[in-house]
Amino acid sequence: METAVKTQFSRRWILGAVLAPALWAAGPPEGNAIAIVVRPDVPVDNLSFAELRRLMLGDRQYWSSNLKVTLLVRAPGARERDVVLKTIYQMSEAQFRQYWIAKVFRAEAASAPRIVYSNDMAADLASQIPGAVAFVDAGQVPTGLKVLKINGLLPQQPGYPLR
Amino acid sequence: MKFGLAAIGLFLVLQPGARAQASDPATRQLIEQLMTRIDTLERRVAELEKAPGAARATAPAAPAVAAATPGPHLDHDQAPQPETTVPEAQPVYPSLKIAGFSDFNFSATDLHGANGGFQPQTLLGAHSGFEEGQFVLHLSSALSQKVTVFSELSLTARGDAGTGSPAAPGFNAEVERLILRYDLNDYFKISFGRYHTPINYWNTAFHHGQWLQTTISRPEMTQFGGSFIPVHFVGSLVEGVTPAGGLNLNYNVGLGNGRGQVLSRGGDFGDVNSNRAWLVNLFVKPDHPYGLQVGGSVYRDELNPLSGLVAREWIESGHIVWQKETPEFMAEFANVRHDFRGGGSSNSQAFYAQTAYRLPFANKWKPYYRFEQIHVPRSDAIFRPVVPTFSGSTAGIRYDFATFAAFKLEYRNYWRRDLPNINGIFTQTSFTF
Repeated sequence: METAVKTQFSRRWILGAVLAPALWAAGPPEGNAIAIVVRPDVPVDNLSFAELRRLMLGDRQYWSSNLKVTLLVRAPGARERDVVLKTIYQMSEAQFRQYWIAKVFRAEAASAPRIVYSNDMAADLASQIPGAVAFVDAGQVPTGLKVLKINGLLPQQPGYPLR
Repeated sequence: MKFGLAAIGLFLVLQPGARAQASDPATRQLIEQLMTRIDTLERRVAELEKAPGAARATAPAAPAVAAATPGPHLDHDQAPQPETTVPEAQPVYPSLKIAGFSDFNFSATDLHGANGGFQPQTLLGAHSGFEEGQFVLHLSSALSQKVTVFSELSLTARGDAGTGSPAAPGFNAEVERLILRYDLNDYFKISFGRYHTPINYWNTAFHHGQWLQTTISRPEMTQFGGSFIPVHFVGSLVEGVTPAGGLNLNYNVGLGNGRGQVLSRGGDFGDVNSNRAWLVNLFVKPDHPYGLQVGGSVYRDELNPLSGLVAREWIESGHIVWQKETPEFMAEFANVRHDFRGGGSSNSQAFYAQTAYRLPFANKWKPYYRFEQIHVPRSDAIFRPVVPTFSGSTAGIRYDFATFAAFKLEYRNYWRRDLPNINGIFTQTSFTF
C-alpha cells in the first residue's frame, strides 16, 4: 500500500516536472486581436499603423473638419489597454499618464482620452458619440459599428498589429 | 504570467482532492441554485428583448459606470473605480478641467553675494534654505467642439511681493497663459492670447509644471524671468500639423507685441513701439523613428529697453529632442542678434544639451546630466546688464516616488565670466494634483 502511494506521488511529480516547462514555454494564452471600432459615418475605413499612432497620440484630432476624434480607452488592468499602450504608445502606464497630462498642459488637447470600464461600455459610447474610436476584443465586436483596418488588415488576418 | 500558469498546472496535477470536492453535496446544491438563478435571469432578458424598444427605454435606469473621463489627474495610483451614474455620451459645454502643479525646493551653494544675473528660479541664492516653488493652476475648457480656452495661473513666492515699504515677502500672482483657440481642422488652428513663446522647445513643452521636466530648474536660456529669449508672447498664433509624407510637419506663425521695456516681460498692456513682433516655428515629428522631434524658429522684434539702445532683434533657434526615456535627450541652440539703431550689431548665443536615462532595473530612478552655456559679447549693451555669461554642468537623479510626485537631487557647477565659480546642491519635491 505504502509503495503504491509512493509510486503515485512520484508519477505526479514527474508529470508536473514535464508539464511545467511546457506551460512555461507556451506563455500566456494568445488573446483575441484588438479591434478598432468606430461609427459607420466615420469617413475612414483603413489606417496605416503610423496614422493610428498619430490618432492615439492626439496629434490627429479630426476625422474631417466637422468630425472630431474622441478617444475611448479602457481603464487600467484591461487587456485592451495593455495592448494599446504596448504596441501603439510604446509607453508604460506612468509614461502614458504623464504624456496626457503634458499634452493637455501644453494646450495641445482639451482633454485626455475618456476612460471606459468594459467592452460593452466602449461599444455603447462609440455608437453614441460621433467620431469616437474604441478598442474592443475582436471576439466581441458589436453590431452597428465599423471595424477599421490597420495597414489594410482586419483583426482576424495574419500580420494584424494589435495583439 | 508564465510562472503563474506553470504553478496552476502543477497545482492541478498535484491536487488529489479536486474531483472529490466537486462531488461534495453542499457544492452541488450551490451549483444547482446558481443554475436556477441563471435560468431565471435568461428568461427575464429574453422577455425584455421581445418587448419593442424596451431595451433602449430601460437602459438609462440601469446602473452603469460613469462615462465622464476621470482623466489621468483623477486616477492617481489607483485604477479608476466605476461609479454608478448614467453614462454621459455627449459632451457638455463648457467643460472646465483643473489641474495643479507645485514644488518645494532646498538649495545650498558656496555663493557669497550677488549671483550676477541668474533668475530667482535658478535657486542660486546667497543663503541656503528651503523655498516654496510655484503654485500653478491649469484650467482648460472646451466651449464647443472647435473652441477651447486654456489658461495657466501661478502664485510665486517672492521677497518683494508683499505689502509695506520696503515690500515684505509674499506671493506674486500672474496669468502665465490665457489662450482662446478655434480649430478649423488639424491643419489650421487660430488663437489669441498670452503664450509661452513657441520659439524654443523647453518653453512650450514644460511650461510651469516642474514635475513634468526631468531636472529641478529650466536651462537659464529659457528661465522664467530671464531675458535671453522672450518667454511670453501676447498676440495671435496660427498653428497646425500636416502629415507631410510621414514627417508630421508642425507649424506656428505668430504676430504679437513682443518684449516690453523690461525685456523679461511681454507686452501685456500694449506694444512699446509700433513694430509688431512675429515668429515662425517649424518642427517635424517623423513616424520613424518614433520619438524624434527636430525643429527651428525665427523671431523678429524691435526693442525699446528701459536702459540701452533701441535695436532690431532677430532670434534664430533650433532643437533636437528624443522624447523617450531610455535614453532621453534634448538639445537646443539660439542666437540672438541685436542691430542697434545707431549702428553696430552683436550676436549672443546660448545652448544646452541634456540627457537622462530611466533605469531598467529600478524604473523609478532617472539619473540625468545637462551642460549649458550662454555667451553675451561685451558689445551687447542690451543683454550685458541682465543676462549672465556662464557655462554650467548639472548632474542629478530623479526619483518618482509616486505616479504623480517626484523627488530630485542635483549638483551644479557654474563658471561665470569675471566672477567666482558657483557650486551647489539642490533638491526639489514636485508634483501634480
